[in-house]
Amino acid sequence: MSWNDLLLRLRALAFRKRVERELDEELQFHLEMERRKNAAAGVSDTEAAGLARVQFGGVEQAKEECRDARGLFWIDTILQDVRYALRGFRRTPAFALTVVATIALGLGLNTTLFTIFNAYVLRPVAVRDPYSLYSFYWINKAGEGARLTWREFEDFRKQNSAFSEVMGHHFLFARVEGHPLEGQFVTGNYFRMLGVLPALGRTLLPGDDAAPGSEPVIVLSYAAWQRKFGGEAEIVGKKLIIHGYPLTVVGIAKEGFSGLGDTPHDFWAPMSMAGQVEDGPSLFGPEQPRRIDIVGRLKPELSARQATAALTTWARQMTANRPESERATGADLQSQATAVPLTAEVLLFFSPIMAAFGLVLLIACANVAGMMLARAMARQREIGIRLSLGASRPRLIRQLLTEGVLLALPAAAAGFALSQATIQYGERLMFATMPADFAEFITVIPLPPDARVFGFMLAASVVSAVLFGLAPAIQATRTNVMQAARGDFSSDFRPARLRNALVAGQITMCALLLICAGVLLRGARRLANFDVGLKTTGVVEIEIQDKFRARILERLASEPLVQTVAAAQSPPLDGTLPTVPVVAGEGANAVGAWYNLVSPEYFPVLQVPILRGRNFTRDEAAAGAPVAIISLATARLFWGNREAVGQSIHMVRDPRHPAQSRVLRHESVRVIGVARDVVSCCAIQGLDKTCIYLPTTPAEGGDALLVRVHGDGELARRKLDAELATINPGAIDQIHLMGQMRAAGVYPFQAASWVCGGIGALALLLTLSGIYGVLSYLVTQRTKEIGIRVALGASTESVTFLVLRQSMRLAGFGIALGSVLALGVSRIFASVFVTMNMFDGPAYGAGVLLVIAASAAAAYFPSRRAARIDPITTLRYD
Amino acid sequence: MGQPSRLDLLQGTLDLLILRTLQSGQALHGWAISERIQQISEDVLRVNQGSLYPALHRLEHQGWIKAEWGVSELGRRARFYRLTASGRKQLEVETLNWARLTGAIGRVLEMA
Repeated sequence: MSWNDLLLRLRALAFRKRVERELDEELQFHLEMERRKNAAAGVSDTEAAGLARVQFGGVEQAKEECRDARGLFWIDTILQDVRYALRGFRRTPAFALTVVATIALGLGLNTTLFTIFNAYVLRPVAVRDPYSLYSFYWINKAGEGARLTWREFEDFRKQNSAFSEVMGHHFLFARVEGHPLEGQFVTGNYFRMLGVLPALGRTLLPGDDAAPGSEPVIVLSYAAWQRKFGGEAEIVGKKLIIHGYPLTVVGIAKEGFSGLGDTPHDFWAPMSMAGQVEDGPSLFGPEQPRRIDIVGRLKPELSARQATAALTTWARQMTANRPESERATGADLQSQATAVPLTAEVLLFFSPIMAAFGLVLLIACANVAGMMLARAMARQREIGIRLSLGASRPRLIRQLLTEGVLLALPAAAAGFALSQATIQYGERLMFATMPADFAEFITVIPLPPDARVFGFMLAASVVSAVLFGLAPAIQATRTNVMQAARGDFSSDFRPARLRNALVAGQITMCALLLICAGVLLRGARRLANFDVGLKTTGVVEIEIQDKFRARILERLASEPLVQTVAAAQSPPLDGTLPTVPVVAGEGANAVGAWYNLVSPEYFPVLQVPILRGRNFTRDEAAAGAPVAIISLATARLFWGNREAVGQSIHMVRDPRHPAQSRVLRHESVRVIGVARDVVSCCAIQGLDKTCIYLPTTPAEGGDALLVRVHGDGELARRKLDAELATINPGAIDQIHLMGQMRAAGVYPFQAASWVCGGIGALALLLTLSGIYGVLSYLVTQRTKEIGIRVALGASTESVTFLVLRQSMRLAGFGIALGSVLALGVSRIFASVFVTMNMFDGPAYGAGVLLVIAASAAAAYFPSRRAARIDPITTLRYD
Repeated sequence: MGQPSRLDLLQGTLDLLILRTLQSGQALHGWAISERIQQISEDVLRVNQGSLYPALHRLEHQGWIKAEWGVSELGRRARFYRLTASGRKQLEVETLNWARLTGAIGRVLEMA
């Protein structure tokens, strides 16, 4: 169709009346000319006009042919179909609403997931030319990536041949004015390289990190400024205390920028300040800690593969003189264009979730297809008549598809609204239900819908319209014209095995989800009540800056609220505990064992009894003596029923452990005591399988303080926070009640059970509609048969039972399969989390009962309809 | 039947004749086009007027001729058709085809 043609057709469509009038005028003009010619030739006036008409032939016929020359426009056809479909929906609003609601649920769920996926994996970060940004590490023989030291970074900046510009950054956590902030030290070219402008004041400039210690300045992100500092304009020029060191706020980065990577950053400070602000060896000092992450802008003429090759060569040369374990074997480049790079692993991680959600949409479509089919069958007579009157089959299919699209579009709109509501409400719910202390640590990437989300929505709705519209359309128009002419409109439908399988499949899914939700929920509750063996109430955990350690300990000692101060290198229930390979006893193999460094006060503060032997003495703690206390489980593992006290444990030196690691201070340690088993890592893993306690003191740098206080814990926590802030506002990194740590550990499981339950409820709804759809179809299809049965004396009960049996057969199959799958899934849960019970009877029972009840309820209405079938009407029908 | 019998137009040749009539560049209305064809063919070719207008509309949709409202010799509004650039090309193609067709038929008639 040419452009010219399209314009003319559109004109004819838009100005239908005018085009008709013009056609009329044109033909009238011709007739007038003809009449004059005849008159001039001597024909009388009255005859001239008539003769002209005769010569012309049929005027109306010519008009019709002119219209035909234009052809019937596809838009005309579509408009016709749309009008026809809308008339149909007005007659059966309940049907239209059910379809729209079902598809909206499926689309809403998928759009929610896609919005999240889009925000992390597809949406480019708000910087200049994001697709040329790559992070770079080199990899050693063991496959581990290494950060760079300051000196290496300086060399790299000068020597690299792959990037046109390079910047360094490293992570920094700070507690500022009571708010936890996650930020970065960055090289001075950071903002210039990314092309990020300030919203207020200025960004960091290359001059800011000209020399170590220069420019005590800081730039905040727009989001942090709004959320944590109230969005006040006077923030520029204000001094913020970062780790006890004052940095002046010089500006706010532009809205929407929160750094590279998946964690939104709250602030950026010049790398040159790292020496002053950070604890531990200075970045610029002789020890040269490996802390710097690199991001570079790829030279435009290079591909990522070429750059990887070039950087591998560089890294190999750079590390050629080092010990073998530190030598580079390769280079790893990751795109920084999106928060999470789109790699095979990420896709692998997302694909089962996407598949599950997609399945929900597919189920919704299948259900709607069932309903559409039932409806199409009820319209068999109409379709048959239209076919026998000469309507082409493609035309009818197109018409039924139009109905599908008309239902899918409002469903898309509703689904979109649903996904927006889910995201907003879900986010709010998450923050509201999270333990308060931790809500502030969680920053979520903003999830606004963009063109990609709308595109996805549109594509998904059109695909679903075709899915749920096409099959019924094809099947419904399969009617034989001969049969239609005979008046036989209903005998051509086959029982759809596929649809039965789909319903059984969704009952399976539904049972699986509901059972898992139950298992998770009960597991979470058991986890919350699980005895970790530690008395956490009344204990405040404080992590501090080492430069203020002495003064803080002094202040705590004189504070009347404080009962005892203990220290631990790894605070318990924090989710991690390091391991060290050890050999216990003659000829034994090396075993990786968990270890912790704790002060003698640790055991009384957390009320962990020493079962045999004794606690560390103060002198042993202060000297870091070669003694150890082990947990009961460790003693059993190493020495069975033999006495563990007095035995010795050898620490194996391992190249992966840094030489300065405190656990390797001695080659072997003597066991002086055995402590009761407790949970040191995290409640989900249960009691420690191994744990070796080595002595330390609160004065030791890097250790967390565990303070048992008098009276109410929360009150004491606030008082201590305020009190210690007077030493320096940046002295404290974290201060929590240990009970809150506990709650934070349980929260993800509660949240997971809610999400699982929510999706389970959705699946239940869909199952309801699915069973309803299939049975309605079945009843309509078997109307004649049921009529005959009733006429032959079948009772109402037996007819009802006939339909119910169909439903129960599907439900029975689905529940059995779902339960088996649930066993498999909860087995995986149980293998990771000790408090999950694979054979959780009540969870299984409740899930199964719910599904049975739903199946019965969904079957109720169709079975009632079947029971009310009047044999006389049915049999007279044909 | 004193008059020489008029020939009905072959299917498809009407388009060619319309395009040829408009080749001079002058814009003509439908009646004038049919008159012109009859005149030039010395009344041998008779344009079926019922099919003239559908043909004009079809050609317009194909973009070979362009229609505009103008004032006719009667002082009334009339629809004038004009050949477009692509119409001119189409005319060349069809003329060539016609020549080949008639040439071929002529040869067959002579040979047989």
